[in-house]
Amino acid sequence: MSKMFQLLGQRRFGAQLSAWLLVTFAVAFGGQAAAAAPNPQDPPPVFVQAVADALLSVLKADPAVRNQDVARINEIVQTNVMPYVNFEKTTRLSAGKHWRDATPEQRAALVEAFRSTLVRTYAGALSKIDNGTSMEVLTFRGDENAKDVVVPSSVVQGTNVQPIRIDYRLEKTPEGWRIYDLNVENIWLIQNYRGQFSQEINRSGIDGLIAALNKRNNQ
Amino acid sequence: MTMANARFASFKRLFLISTIVTLGGCASTQGPTDPADPWESMNRGVYAFNDELDRGLFRPVAELYAFVTPRPVRTCIRNAYLNIGEIWSAINSALQQRHFDAINTMGRFMFNTTLGLGGCIDVASMNGQPRIANDFGVTLGVWGVPQGPYLVLPIIGASSVRDGAGDVVNLVGNQLDTIGMIKNVPVRNSLWGLEFVVRREALLTVSKTVDSTALDPYSFIRDAYLQRREAQVLGDADAQSLPDYEDYEDVKADEKALGITPEKSP
Repeated sequence: MSKMFQLLGQRRFGAQLSAWLLVTFAVAFGGQAAAAAPNPQDPPPVFVQAVADALLSVLKADPAVRNQDVARINEIVQTNVMPYVNFEKTTRLSAGKHWRDATPEQRAALVEAFRSTLVRTYAGALSKIDNGTSMEVLTFRGDENAKDVVVPSSVVQGTNVQPIRIDYRLEKTPEGWRIYDLNVENIWLIQNYRGQFSQEINRSGIDGLIAALNKRNNQ
Repeated sequence: MTMANARFASFKRLFLISTIVTLGGCASTQGPTDPADPWESMNRGVYAFNDELDRGLFRPVAELYAFVTPRPVRTCIRNAYLNIGEIWSAINSALQQRHFDAINTMGRFMFNTTLGLGGCIDVASMNGQPRIANDFGVTLGVWGVPQGPYLVLPIIGASSVRDGAGDVVNLVGNQLDTIGMIKNVPVRNSLWGLEFVVRREALLTVSKTVDSTALDPYSFIRDAYLQRREAQVLGDADAQSLPDYEDYEDVKADEKALGITPEKSP
């Protein structure tokens, strides 16, 4: 319900509310209710599959996603992805040794700026999602009792298109599993941002990095 | 990738221009240099040149191609080109002693060439056998040749000393031995030209994303390239290629607990 009040507070809530209600009904009564809510206490492969299924069913039902409505995608990510992700860790590892020099305010600002950047990064890919899109967790070869595991998956985007390999890296927290890194076709997200982050921080400090990220986000 | 002989003259000219661009516009690089990229300022020059050329010529052509050709047709043509490349991938898998990959790739080739109508339809992927891309740069890596400094090549783009050398062999193995065998020169060159456009078109969304989200597209591409090549050399050894990030949150907590003030790094 709190989600609904958040929405009510938004500027363009009229159109969004009706769209949102439609989606809610579609999800609740459209047969997709069968997909159980992701449970972070489940074994990692089960958990990752549940997160992906829930996210995909929301994305498929939302026409705003196809139009790359970044504001809407942001909301969906906030509700359907962020609860299962330790994004502070993603940002911290990307910032490397510079994290130590950042004040709590800078850290919060960096986390938010980075999150927006990634939402924009994936908005294009998410807009291509249609009914032919599915994600299937591949054979999990890790140890479910370990604290840090990798879950491989394959994303199929319709027929006659090469499936994309995506791996998720998770860590065990007291609240259950949390995703913190992502590998798309052999490229780890954090590893790929570390260089750029440290380059930008060396040049213009942590505030400079936050400003650079936000500048791109507002373009 | 596509180096038609007919274009060699213009290539030489481009190389010359790129050298001038490099010498003239050495990008000032601040901060410590990446040990993997000691030639960064030269590379950035070539990168800037490639980027100009791409925006002015290759990208518009690829966009036009995407505009006039329906998506299923584009997918079909792209698959057909990838299919021809499977033979060379399989040879490299074999050279790397990855016989399982080599057999799978040859299986894909035969399956897709026949049932997939000349590679147009990727039947093998639909049946759970995804493509295993391979080339001679990876083979050299598996044989123990180090990556060497990162190198941005004119037109081709991201490469390294090892992969650049590998590309010379790739050119012979993957191009001159396939499309290069076609005796009709206009047909052969058209096929090569089309391949270039097709390959560029496949990357349109990627370059759009890099443009709009990377802080520094040059290092974004470099880091992604080096990471992917390293993973290709290591193969599918999942655990081996897991990056080990240093986590500075814990360090701080520990220091706090021990009563040590963390030293400020410059």
